[in-house]
Formats: sequence, structure tokens, C-alpha cells
Amino acid sequence: MIKKLLLFVLLAGAGVMFWTGISDYEVKQDLNPIASYYADQGLEETGAANLVTAVVVRYRGLDTLGEVVILFLTASILGFFLIKRDGKNDFRESSEILKTASRLLEPIIILAGVYVFVNGHLTPGGGFQGGAILASALILAYLANPNDSISKTLLKITESFSGLSFVIIGVLGIILAGGFLDSTLLPAGSIGNLISAGVIPIIYLFVGLKVGSELAGIVTNLKYAPKNESE
Amino acid sequence: METLQTIGAFVVLAGSIFIFLGALGLVRMPDVYNRIQAGTKASTLGTLLTLVGLIMIMPAWWNKFLLLAIFVIITNPVSSHVLARASHAAKIRLSKKTVTDHYETYKKEKEEKAHGVKS
Amino acid sequence: MESNLNIIIAIVLGVIILIFAALAIYHKKLSVAIIAAGAVSLLASIMYLLLAAPDVAMTEAAIGSGLSVIIFFYALNKIRKHHD
Repeated sequence: MIKKLLLFVLLAGAGVMFWTGISDYEVKQDLNPIASYYADQGLEETGAANLVTAVVVRYRGLDTLGEVVILFLTASILGFFLIKRDGKNDFRESSEILKTASRLLEPIIILAGVYVFVNGHLTPGGGFQGGAILASALILAYLANPNDSISKTLLKITESFSGLSFVIIGVLGIILAGGFLDSTLLPAGSIGNLISAGVIPIIYLFVGLKVGSELAGIVTNLKYAPKNESE
Repeated sequence: METLQTIGAFVVLAGSIFIFLGALGLVRMPDVYNRIQAGTKASTLGTLLTLVGLIMIMPAWWNKFLLLAIFVIITNPVSSHVLARASHAAKIRLSKKTVTDHYETYKKEKEEKAHGVKS
Repeated sequence: MESNLNIIIAIVLGVIILIFAALAIYHKKLSVAIIAAGAVSLLASIMYLLLAAPDVAMTEAAIGSGLSVIIFFYALNKIRKHHD
């Protein structure tokens, strides 16, 4: 009984907090100063046609680095705890139809992923989305050929190399240009071309490769994890 | 141009009717395999008809819709095949009205052949 | 007219999202709950598209309804006790 009363008090408190938050909410007609600065100057400063990309990579590049580091931590913790102890797992062989279809589909999916992160500064999309699509192509390969394994060292090398390149480009921005991850390191080019917007496409290339290899690594670790045999 | 768009709208409507029938089949059918059958066939045809209608409505985007259609043609049957195979491997029971199960007899024949070769 | 239609679609989507979220929480079978959570992500990505945020919609569709469902199923397959 007292537990329910406590729960009710807690809910009422949360309700009061939310109500005070939204009761005097008004839709703002004009942007706040920093957002209007991004909206006005972003296009000229970075040369990226997609303003979201400009904000994510140029103005909030440090946050992107933090997100990538968090993903890396997750992948490495999973790899640490789910390390393969009991040899190779045996999986049921998948059917011929799935194998053939996956051989047909994997290049298309990988192409779509690469398109998404190479065109990140022009169209919606970017490193994270493209990386997730790449990882899904690798997962399709796992599902189609469960007993073949993709080289773990290749995934690790790709991941480390792209993470290192990301940081190196950022530090080069401090040395040669205005600040960390400054996209004026390379000439901005004309808006709308594939090779434009300074270093943004290169950064997105590395972010995409890193995210893709990390997510694929997570699934690899899960695949070879020992089964729970408590019963 | 106006007539082409009207025809396209009707084709899209036909496609959505097929998708609705597929959803109805998911509810009405007795067991997993029949449900997969109804869902896949009707939804593949419905999606394709919708895409054709969209090409008629918006002819400038035909290449994107064609790409989508090819993707749907490849993935939809394959995924339903994998689902059916997995549920057969998980020994999900067939409905009582089922007359024949060729995959089961095929598996048994294969097993017998393998044993025969061994012994 | 157009904005009214958008608002109606958004409300319907929101109600369906709530139903799927409740299903994901309260259903006893874990596999059904995982699929319901994936459906929540898929519908949420349509919602983001209606709110004119295609970047977020792509992320949600790829990661929320694709990868996380697969990872959940792998994990469920690993921790499930054998019944036979």
C-alpha cells in the first residue's frame, strides 16, 4: 500500500515538473543567435550544400568524435566480454537461394552505403547512416554463409586506421587552419560538386568506414559468443 | 498528362488494395506457411503496382522507382523463403487441413540417401 | 489543406507508435517485443520524415529498425534457455 502511495507521489511530482516545463511553451518564430549564425554563415563558411552535415562535422565536430568514441567503447567492451572460448560454432547451412540472392544483393547494398556517406555533404545522409548500411551488408553475408568468417583483423585495421585518420585531420585543422576539424584545410570548391566543402567528405568517409566496421565487429563478436548453458 | 496521372492514381489504388488483401490474409490464414504465402505474394504485387503507378504520376523519377522495384523483386521472395525455411526447421506445426509436405519428404529422402551411402 | 493532412497523418502515426510501444513493453514473448520495438523505430522514422528531418529519419531507419533488431535477436538467441 505504502509502495503504491510512494509511486503515486513520484508520478505526481514528475507530472508537475513536466507541466511547469510545457505550460508556458511558445513556438519561437525566430532562431536563437547561434542557430541563426549557423543558418546564415554555414553555407559560405563550409561550402556544404547540406546544412545538417555542416553543423555535425564542422561546428560540432568534437561531438561527432565523442559519439564515435562511445561506439568504439561499446564494440570493444562487447569484444572483451564475448571473446571466443569454445572453438567454432556450428550453424545450419543456409539454402542455395539465399546464398545466390545475397551474392547479388551485397554489392548493391555496399554501393548504397558508400553513396550515402560520400554524398553526405550534398544530400541527406552521412557517416553514421552509411556505416550502418555497410554493416547491414556484412550481416547479410554472415546470414547467408554462416560458417565462413570475415577476417576480424581486417575489420580491426579498418576501424583503427579510420579513427586515427579522423583525429589526424582534426589536429591538422588546428595546425594549418582555424581550429579543430576546420574544413577550410582544403579549398571549398563550388557548392554542389562531389569534391567540395573542404575536408567534410573525407571526414565522412572515415566516419562511415569506422561505424560500419564497428557495427560489423559487434555482430561478429555476438555470433561467436559462447551460448548460455545454465540448464 | 492529366490522364496519365489519373491512370497512375488508379494503379496506386489497385496496389494498395492488394496490400490490404495481403494484410487480411495474414489474419485469416490458418498457419504460418499460409500466412507467409499470402503476405508475400500480395505485398510484392501491391508494392510493384504502387511503384508503377508512381512512375506514371511522376515520370521524371522513373529510374529511382525502377531501382526500388528491382530491389523489392529480389528481396521479398527471398526473405519469405528464408522465413518459411526457418519455421520449418524450428518444427512449427502445419495446419490440420494440410494435404502434403514435400519438403519433409525431401529431407527424409536425403537423410536415407546419406545413411545408405555410409552403410 | 496540406498542413492539415500532415497533422492528421502525424496524429495517426503517433497513436500507432504508442500502441506498438505498449506491445513492446507488455508482451510476454520477447521476440514479439523485439519486433514491436523495431516497428516503433520504423514508424518514428516516417514521423521524422514528416517533420522534415531526413537525416534523422535515415539514421533511425537503418540503426533503429535494422541493426538493433538483428543485434537483439542475436543476443536473445544466445541467452535463451533450451526447452527441449
